[in-house]
Amino acid sequence: MTVQPVGRPASSEGLRVVKGKRLRRPSLAPWVIMVIIAVAAFLGLGFARISLDRSAFELAELNKAIDEQAALNEQLRLEVARLENPARIAPLADEMGLVIPGETNPLLVNLDVPSPVVAEVERDGANQ
Amino acid sequence: MAVPGVRPKISHPGRARMALIGFVVVAAWLGMGYRLFEIQVVRADELAEKGLSQRLVTREMAPQRGKIYDRKGNLLAMTVESQSIFAVPDQVTEPLWVAQQIGGLLGVDPDTLHERLRSDLDFVYIKRQVEGVLAEEVLGQEMKGIFAHPEPSRVYPAGSVAAHVTGFVNIDGDGQEGLELVYDSELRGRPGYAEYERDVAGRVIPQGYTNIVPAIPGMDLVTTIDLPLQYQAQESCLDAVDRTGAESCWAVVLEVETGEILAMVGAPVFDPDTRQTLDASCDGAEDPNACRMFTNFVIRGIYEPGSTQKMITFAAALEEGQVNVGTLIPDVDDELEVLEGACDSSDDEQWGCYEDFDAHEKTDMTVAEIFTRSSNVGTIKVAEKLGQPKLIEYIEKFGFGEQTGVDYTVEAPGMLRFDPGCQTCMASAAIGYSVAVTPLQMAAAYAAIGNDGVWTTPHIVRSQVDGQGETEVAGVETRQVVSSSTSLLMRELLARVVEEGTGHGGAVEGYRVGGKTGTANKLSEDGKTYTDETRASFVGLAPINDPKVVVAVVVDAPDHEYRTGGLSAAPVFSEIMEQALHRLGVSPDGEQR
Repeated sequence: MTVQPVGRPASSEGLRVVKGKRLRRPSLAPWVIMVIIAVAAFLGLGFARISLDRSAFELAELNKAIDEQAALNEQLRLEVARLENPARIAPLADEMGLVIPGETNPLLVNLDVPSPVVAEVERDGANQ
Repeated sequence: MAVPGVRPKISHPGRARMALIGFVVVAAWLGMGYRLFEIQVVRADELAEKGLSQRLVTREMAPQRGKIYDRKGNLLAMTVESQSIFAVPDQVTEPLWVAQQIGGLLGVDPDTLHERLRSDLDFVYIKRQVEGVLAEEVLGQEMKGIFAHPEPSRVYPAGSVAAHVTGFVNIDGDGQEGLELVYDSELRGRPGYAEYERDVAGRVIPQGYTNIVPAIPGMDLVTTIDLPLQYQAQESCLDAVDRTGAESCWAVVLEVETGEILAMVGAPVFDPDTRQTLDASCDGAEDPNACRMFTNFVIRGIYEPGSTQKMITFAAALEEGQVNVGTLIPDVDDELEVLEGACDSSDDEQWGCYEDFDAHEKTDMTVAEIFTRSSNVGTIKVAEKLGQPKLIEYIEKFGFGEQTGVDYTVEAPGMLRFDPGCQTCMASAAIGYSVAVTPLQMAAAYAAIGNDGVWTTPHIVRSQVDGQGETEVAGVETRQVVSSSTSLLMRELLARVVEEGTGHGGAVEGYRVGGKTGTANKLSEDGKTYTDETRASFVGLAPINDPKVVVAVVVDAPDHEYRTGGLSAAPVFSEIMEQALHRLGVSPDGEQR
């Protein structure tokens, strides 16, 4: 028997006969997954970039803050140095009646001479 | 009605319209595609470079100038961030009002400022290096056209106390005098630069192109100066100028063994913070006195030392064995004529007559007595035993006539005058004339006597410190000028000068001090005669048994009643020496006076 091609069905609203493997509609799942992955990757990349940029901004702000603190620290060092200037301290010390170490008299003690008697203390049994 | 197997045809007008729309859409897409291709592929490099050039900024990073410390870590000089106020004249709407407001705040003449604000320039400075608080006050007024930019400013926390040591920089931070000039390249550091991309608001674009070469900060200097001692010495000198009516007073304190300069002061003083507009050179100065404040006489000023020079004459004679301390010099008169008729001549320009300060009968004197009483006649007789060549040899060995090598600017070598055929030069040099020295040279010579005859190069900087660690300054030169036994004898003679002779004003309570007074008349301007003005000096060391410190003081042109070294310079020496010994923690070793 000769196999006759299936005739074209009546052209009805663009339908056509599908045979064999093409009977099943191809699964869209892989495509959907790939699209989701691609979108996720794209968004993730964007998010990572934004995070990095944000971190870089924060780092720049921190560096700026460090520089400001360093400058402030130097100003404070200057202030301390000015406060410690002997030209500032000496007149104030003088006003308060303090003396510069050089103004004290060194006392030379002769160890060969016996100590002078300062006072005599009476001792009796009751006072021991 | 639809026919099976036959595709229905679209009506003709709709099809054409669709085709046209499709054509336009495709053309648009093709156009965009071409433009994208052109931008992204054909002109990619060119446009990327153009974009980068618009975003890319190169900024020089100024290095931090190194700090200067004293030996204990006290700051003598440092750099801080300040603000320089400037104006863009075009943007200033009310220049007169602005000039009056800002001029008063910043201490700038309002008329001058007004002229600047009305100029055609794009940019004018109002005042540079203004402190932050003051700058904020100015900018807080929010005047149009007035701005500020940060600029480093050199400051000196110790003020005038260490001015003669640190020197100063100019408005641009370049060293002009003192250590700031000598060590300018070490202090300056090396600038860096930063290349980075920034947006239209001036913010750095993260992840953009950056290339940073960091600036290398300058080295810090640790000096040998003791700041409290420096202050005390300066106060002593200022008091001396006030008390004696002198033009100036200069003092230097040396550590005997190391040659370290513990203090180097002068009065009158200057404030390095406020001298920026003045030129360090005195040429053409309107006010020579003001200009002279910048001249460090300790290192740069030469003077005839007078009797302090006798230490060298006697040390040489003892070293050469020509005399010993007990040698009797016969017939020492109070007047000696080296050139016949010199003493009888009324011509002030006639040299050759030498007199003792105190009149006395002709007598025999020991070498020790001659030195203690500072007899000019006796000293010349001792020098005659030594001979001129040997005298010159020892004067040079003690460092006179050449620079000491101290690490400071423009050091004077001093002067020795021994003209060929000069018949009076040896006699003059023996007693401290015909020789011109700096106070530092004299101090270093006495330090050699204190250091068992070893001369050491004086120096101001102990070490340089970089970012990684500490670097020692190059070693100093030392040389043996006289033997230790001669040094010992000279120290005893110097002690006698203080205990029994003209130097009693230099005594220090609790310590045995040795020293020598000097009183030298100043030459007239034409250099042919001597005036009544003197340069009074005192140089000494202590404790005499094991000297730790040398102090040299020169008082320039004191009033007549204070004209001698004993009256004007010795008390200054005593104060400074006492402070120095206490600062170094040297135990007392002698009887109190």
